[in-house]
Amino acid sequence: MDDLIKLVKTYRLTVGVADRLRLAEEIFRLIEPDLRFFVFRAIQPPAAEDVLQEVLKAVATGMKKFAGGSKEQFWGWCYRIARNKLNDHFQRQATTREQPMPQDELWQLVESSPQVSPLSPADRHDLEYAMKLLTTSKPECYDYLWKHFVFGLGYGEIAEERNLSYDNVRMKIGRCLDEAKSLVS
Amino acid sequence: MFGRSQIARFLIMPKPNPDAELALHKLGQRIREGFAKKHPTPDKSLETVRDAVREQYAQEQEAERGKQPAPVAEKERDPQPPEPDNR
Repeated sequence: MDDLIKLVKTYRLTVGVADRLRLAEEIFRLIEPDLRFFVFRAIQPPAAEDVLQEVLKAVATGMKKFAGGSKEQFWGWCYRIARNKLNDHFQRQATTREQPMPQDELWQLVESSPQVSPLSPADRHDLEYAMKLLTTSKPECYDYLWKHFVFGLGYGEIAEERNLSYDNVRMKIGRCLDEAKSLVS
Repeated sequence: MFGRSQIARFLIMPKPNPDAELALHKLGQRIREGFAKKHPTPDKSLETVRDAVREQYAQEQEAERGKQPAPVAEKERDPQPPEPDNR
């Protein structure tokens, strides 16, 4: 079983406050960067920092009641909380929604990851191709591809966010991928 | 044996496009890794989490205490048996 979901399950069963604090710290060290990325992609600092702290608080408070049993379900649940907090913020502030991230910024992030695991020439070739797919797609497709492949959201989570059916999202992502492939080749 | 022109043709031959889904997954993973490396979890976030956990724990303790019956009420609900009649 994945480490993250093991920690979450243990947290749910833990009674003592000292053990809960230790487990919560381990869990949030794993999930905070992805949640930060999700929030900071949607809104600008300093508001993004406040929204992120609200998201972290809501996840920490709700974790005892999280009923899922897989890592995917846990991430789906976390992103749902983040999305709701972002929507609250959009309603309060009437801010503009996320814009596609500039390609050079994306490459900077990719370039800073090799120290985690080295980038081989074959990897670089794949990543260049993927970057082309992403950046040549139309805005709506970019959003679908970004959410599914970059944030790692499942079809179910995107369907919930868009008020669409699971199959509808699956087909849309498939079509977007085919379209991007034809634009790149 | 390959002739020189065949080798040259092989070297300049465009590489086939990789599997699109796999490549995008790989890109997503790299982007997230890169972001996590550039933005390690700050103390502020961990402090928010600790506060939330402590607050929730305190609320649970409070609720537990609320569930336990007060000692006086306990007496009323469970009266002592009558003294045995020794007459």
